[in-house]
Amino acid sequence: MKLDVRLSPNWLLDLEMREYRTTDPVDFCIIGTGAGGGVLAQRLARFGFSVVALEAGDWHDSERDMVSDEAGSGRLYWNDLRVTGGTDPLEFGANNSGRGVGGGTVHYAAFCPRLHPSDFRVRTLDGVAVDWPMSYEDVEPYYEAMEREYPVSGPAHFPWGAPHGYPYAPLEAGTAGQMLIKGCQALGIPVVAGGPVAIPSGRVGKRPHCIQRGFCLLGCKVGAKSSMLVSHIPDAIAQGAEIRTGCMAFEIPLDPTGQVSGVRYYRTDGDQRIEAEQRARVVIVAGYAIETPRLLLNSTSSAFPDGLANSSGLVGRNLMAQAGPVVWGRFPDLIRQYKSPPACALTEAFYETDPSNDFVRGYALQTVSPLPIAMAHLITEEAGGFGDELLRAMQDYNHIAAIGVLGEILPDERNTVTIHPTERDELGIPVPSMHFSLSENDRRMMVAGTGRARAVLTAAGATDTHAVTRYAHLVGTARMGFTPTDSVVDRWCRSWDVPNLLVCDGSVLPTQGSANPALTISALAARTADWLRRAAAAGALARRPSDPHAVEA
Amino acid sequence: MIGNRYPAADVLAQRGRWDAATRAVVLDRVHNVPEFRYFNGHDRVTLEALCARIIPQDHRPIEDRVPIAPWIDERCAGAASVGFRFEDMPDDATAWVLGLTGLDDAAQSIAGAPFCSLPSIKQDRILNAIRTGDPPGDTWQRLPARRWWINLALKQISGIYYAHPTAWNEIGFGGPAYPRGYAALNFGAREPWEADEVLDPGSSPA
Ligand SMILES: Cc1cc2nc3c(=O)[nH]c(=O)nc-3n(C[C@H](O)[C@H](O)[C@H](O)COP(=O)(O)OP(=O)(O)OC[C@H]3O[C@@H](n4cnc5c(N)ncnc54)[C@H](O)[C@@H]3O)c2cc1C
Ligand code: SF4
Repeated sequence: MKLDVRLSPNWLLDLEMREYRTTDPVDFCIIGTGAGGGVLAQRLARFGFSVVALEAGDWHDSERDMVSDEAGSGRLYWNDLRVTGGTDPLEFGANNSGRGVGGGTVHYAAFCPRLHPSDFRVRTLDGVAVDWPMSYEDVEPYYEAMEREYPVSGPAHFPWGAPHGYPYAPLEAGTAGQMLIKGCQALGIPVVAGGPVAIPSGRVGKRPHCIQRGFCLLGCKVGAKSSMLVSHIPDAIAQGAEIRTGCMAFEIPLDPTGQVSGVRYYRTDGDQRIEAEQRARVVIVAGYAIETPRLLLNSTSSAFPDGLANSSGLVGRNLMAQAGPVVWGRFPDLIRQYKSPPACALTEAFYETDPSNDFVRGYALQTVSPLPIAMAHLITEEAGGFGDELLRAMQDYNHIAAIGVLGEILPDERNTVTIHPTERDELGIPVPSMHFSLSENDRRMMVAGTGRARAVLTAAGATDTHAVTRYAHLVGTARMGFTPTDSVVDRWCRSWDVPNLLVCDGSVLPTQGSANPALTISALAARTADWLRRAAAAGALARRPSDPHAVEA
Repeated sequence: MIGNRYPAADVLAQRGRWDAATRAVVLDRVHNVPEFRYFNGHDRVTLEALCARIIPQDHRPIEDRVPIAPWIDERCAGAASVGFRFEDMPDDATAWVLGLTGLDDAAQSIAGAPFCSLPSIKQDRILNAIRTGDPPGDTWQRLPARRWWINLALKQISGIYYAHPTAWNEIGFGGPAYPRGYAALNFGAREPWEADEVLDPGSSPA
């Protein structure tokens, strides 16, 4: 099939895309084309495997489908029904996960910091949560690869975590970003400007550089911002992968030998809807931390009555968000925060555990620059104000600079994704239901982070500051670990229960630090792809990892 | 009433510099306001009265006011999912109907008349009771008042208003900027084609 998708003003993706027959088993069937699925499709196709990636949404053509308009960008989001509860219910829809080729990376802000080495050892260091079944050093080469391939801009010497620098020079920070820098400087807090953000400070191939239009959260019409749509998917197709759009997976069937045999899905084409099944030797689920457990929990069988690969009972548990309170200040001078990418400056000075705090782990402070509707939502949420009170507050829009606190929320088994007992989506698939409640450590960290952000804005000259609690970046619902009882997948993201099934997206993160997760998810996917290449050659995918006769790859 | 901070702002005058897809979306919003299909009669009048208190536009001639209620109506009629609902809330369309009934419940109990027939000062009193989360009336036993107020009433109504170029002019937002981009990035500077802020003598924004 010949593609016809514009990725930037001067880049028409018009490759001939290979198409596979559903009845011929492919080497890999991947569900989802986001931060995890996109990298996997590209790597596995490059290694010469046959790859089909099923994507529930469509292509996003940069000229036809993306608009510089907040209210007109609904097609970027996962808008199917989800039910949300708990003492601190998470909001979904526009502020949450993406749909379509590239997944959430199409409308993410593109902050791309690494985790710190300490993130892999929080149990050992702080006595909370769990350690990862791997170390920072295991992921480091993949971080480097992803920073080159996305690519990422930032300082040559990043002052936090393990020493590293970025392949592209720092990006220009607009006036709003300069307020974070000014405030930090006044308080003696180290801060970096211009990254790490996946917006290259120069032209990359057919991707022009950023035009500072500030609409990153609505998709980049310029093709400047790195997303799977422009970084890895085009190469995946050139290497022979098929990206099959409009295909919503609803079940992963198990064959009598205990292996998965493919993926069942609904394909929607205009008003037409067909049910189909792609046969595959290996299935990789990469549908985001909500849809991934939903699909596994909806795939029941006599062997797995509680959901596929769920002998541990941990599928859907340990749902984590990052705390994302937004704090804003009003300044006497004009800021015009809508200019420049919202992601442009940050400090990780409060990232690590500090014994003088009343909580463990920490938070980062990052720029966020809400466009008008997002700003109105923050203002109304803060105090419930209306009428002239609201209009007046919004008239100061151009005098506002905002800071996002990005803090580490610890995993808690009681925070869950389950299947709603009665609700169905438009296709008739049972919908996910989320329960989320903060712990005392989380609350204390958020209070501290919010207070710090207020202090920074005040030090920069804000006359008054405001704050609203938000959450971002959901992960953790199919965690990786050391044994079949403490986790859903092993350190290669392979199911402990089903030898030819993997989960490779944000769901596998055991903890998530205070770094935005996309780069880490992609780095883990690249690492898993390398392992799959070895494992396939060694015949390791026929037996479960805990099988005494398992083959090491 | 609010002042006119950006008297020269006219975001739509720049539409020739926008890309075609963005121009189509914004102009469609401005020119093709949907007909009411879901709410009629008393509910529709109540909804319009609510919108007029959350976003008062009395200072504008009627033909320049940003239409809001028709878009809420369209959402409810289309029943398009917005991605989630709170466990303790019904779907959005049902919650809107309930909430409008709740406005009347509270209005009857506080002022002895339906919401839409009250003077604006009294309407605001009703809304403040909902805002603080404890309005009188049976409906509010079934519908969490604060959640309805923030997530439906305020966020949807303000979301519709601030999607309109008239509101962009009011706050000095430069609007869509592809393919041209923004170039004046420092010191809160404006582009040559953006409007200056004009403050009332003696007033300061912050
Ligand atoms: C507003 C916003 C700002 C963000 N900013 C940042 C940031 O600055 N930095 C950062 O690192 N992260 C950011 N994120 C988060 C980031 O986008 C996600 O963490 C990341 O994309 C998750 O990757 P994933 O592979 O787990 O899932 P996704 O990228 O969400 O991909 C999942 C894909 O699977 C598809 N899918 C799901 N279920 C099915 C199914 N059953 N069948 C077929 N297809 C399916 C979906 O359509 C989607 O395309 C942001 C997110 C949002 C919403
Ligand atoms: S600000 Fe730059 S990176 Fe962001 S959407 Fe605009 S052009 Fe793309």
